[in-house]
Amino acid sequence: MKQHKKALAVWLAAILLLLAGALLTGSPGRSESVQESMRDAVLHNLNQIDLLGLKTVNPGMISAFLVTAFLLLAALLLRILVIPRFQYAPGKLQMLLEEAVGLFDRMARGSSPHRFRFVGAYIFAVGAYIFVGTLFELLGIQAATTLGHPITLPAPLSDVNAAIALGTLSYLAIVSGGVAEHGIKGVGKALKEFSLPISMSFRLFGALLSGLLVTELVYYYVSLSFVLPVIVAVLFTLLHALVQTYVLTMLTALYYGEMSEPSHKPAKKRA
Amino acid sequence: MTNLPLNIDLQQILLHWMNLVILTGGLYFLLYKPVKAFIAKREDYYREREMEAAGKLAEAERIHAAYQAKMDAADEEIHQAKLKAQEAAQQSAEEQLNQARTMAQQLLVHARTEAEHDKEQILRSSQRELRKLAAEATKKLAMEKDPFDHFLDLAEEGAKHEER
Repeated sequence: MKQHKKALAVWLAAILLLLAGALLTGSPGRSESVQESMRDAVLHNLNQIDLLGLKTVNPGMISAFLVTAFLLLAALLLRILVIPRFQYAPGKLQMLLEEAVGLFDRMARGSSPHRFRFVGAYIFAVGAYIFVGTLFELLGIQAATTLGHPITLPAPLSDVNAAIALGTLSYLAIVSGGVAEHGIKGVGKALKEFSLPISMSFRLFGALLSGLLVTELVYYYVSLSFVLPVIVAVLFTLLHALVQTYVLTMLTALYYGEMSEPSHKPAKKRA
Repeated sequence: MTNLPLNIDLQQILLHWMNLVILTGGLYFLLYKPVKAFIAKREDYYREREMEAAGKLAEAERIHAAYQAKMDAADEEIHQAKLKAQEAAQQSAEEQLNQARTMAQQLLVHARTEAEHDKEQILRSSQRELRKLAAEATKKLAMEKDPFDHFLDLAEEGAKHEER
């Protein structure tokens, strides 16, 4: 009991000390106004990052590569260390993996019963990318811009290019379902849904960007940086990640199923 | 490529595509496919077990049915044997009864015959006895006075008496 009280006192003292230090040290000054910060969060024309000396890219591009690297590394480790030890009576991690794969597989089978192999694999990858990518902003990984300013790497999909890439790639995946089932006619069928890539892209971009802007706004002011981020950042981001993952994967599977559905020609009436 | 609105960069879009294609392929081969293969393997295993169990159950049911049929056949056989034994016992009883009746009939006939024979013999013997007695009586009578003469004598004696 005495030890608990001592630990509590040390903890509170540490919090107060750090708070006092943060307030007394002061800020080196803002490099940009809130307007500039918000504008740059949308357009990314100010804070860009050098990609291995080849090209300057938006921070979202670096986030995308990092998320992919993380996912592939995790998958590789799971493939080497966990999957070979799978049992018929699964443990917790095995159950989690099976449920993650099974969830997207069932979604694909449910939405597109005729062709579900490709779309199942695709929505699994995209779902993992959106979920982990959205949670990625919670890590607050720092990077240096070409101007030398520090920047927190955002969620990949808060970059309009990433959202467009994902929206258009999903559209192409949907078109491929139509082509696989109906040949060249499938392209025509898919082109009727020309608004789909735009709506998919900007739905993602808008959803992720709005989260980013709110977070930027909250973090911009030091006084709002206590307690509030726990709700704004963690809870909202978690919910956000789940909702966006579900929406895009579900829409992709649904449209894929619609496109790849075999046509039922009505029997010609004989005179 | 920065002339597009919202700072859209086609080169970066292509880089994102490449990134997504790598991720999709990598996750498919490293995670999705092996996990699905394992799930399918486990499903096959349990399906096989289920089929095996169903086969064993069917075999057990078949054996049970065969035993039941054998039991039924044995029951039927026992029933038939019982009926046969009953019939045999009944037949034997009837035969014995018939035999007893025949024997009784024979005994009765024999007794009647014997009685008839005895009767005839007795009759014959009594007739013989009567004949013998008659002969003896005749002989006795013959040896004594003629009754007619005696009668006549008596009759004469009577007439003399009346005249007196």
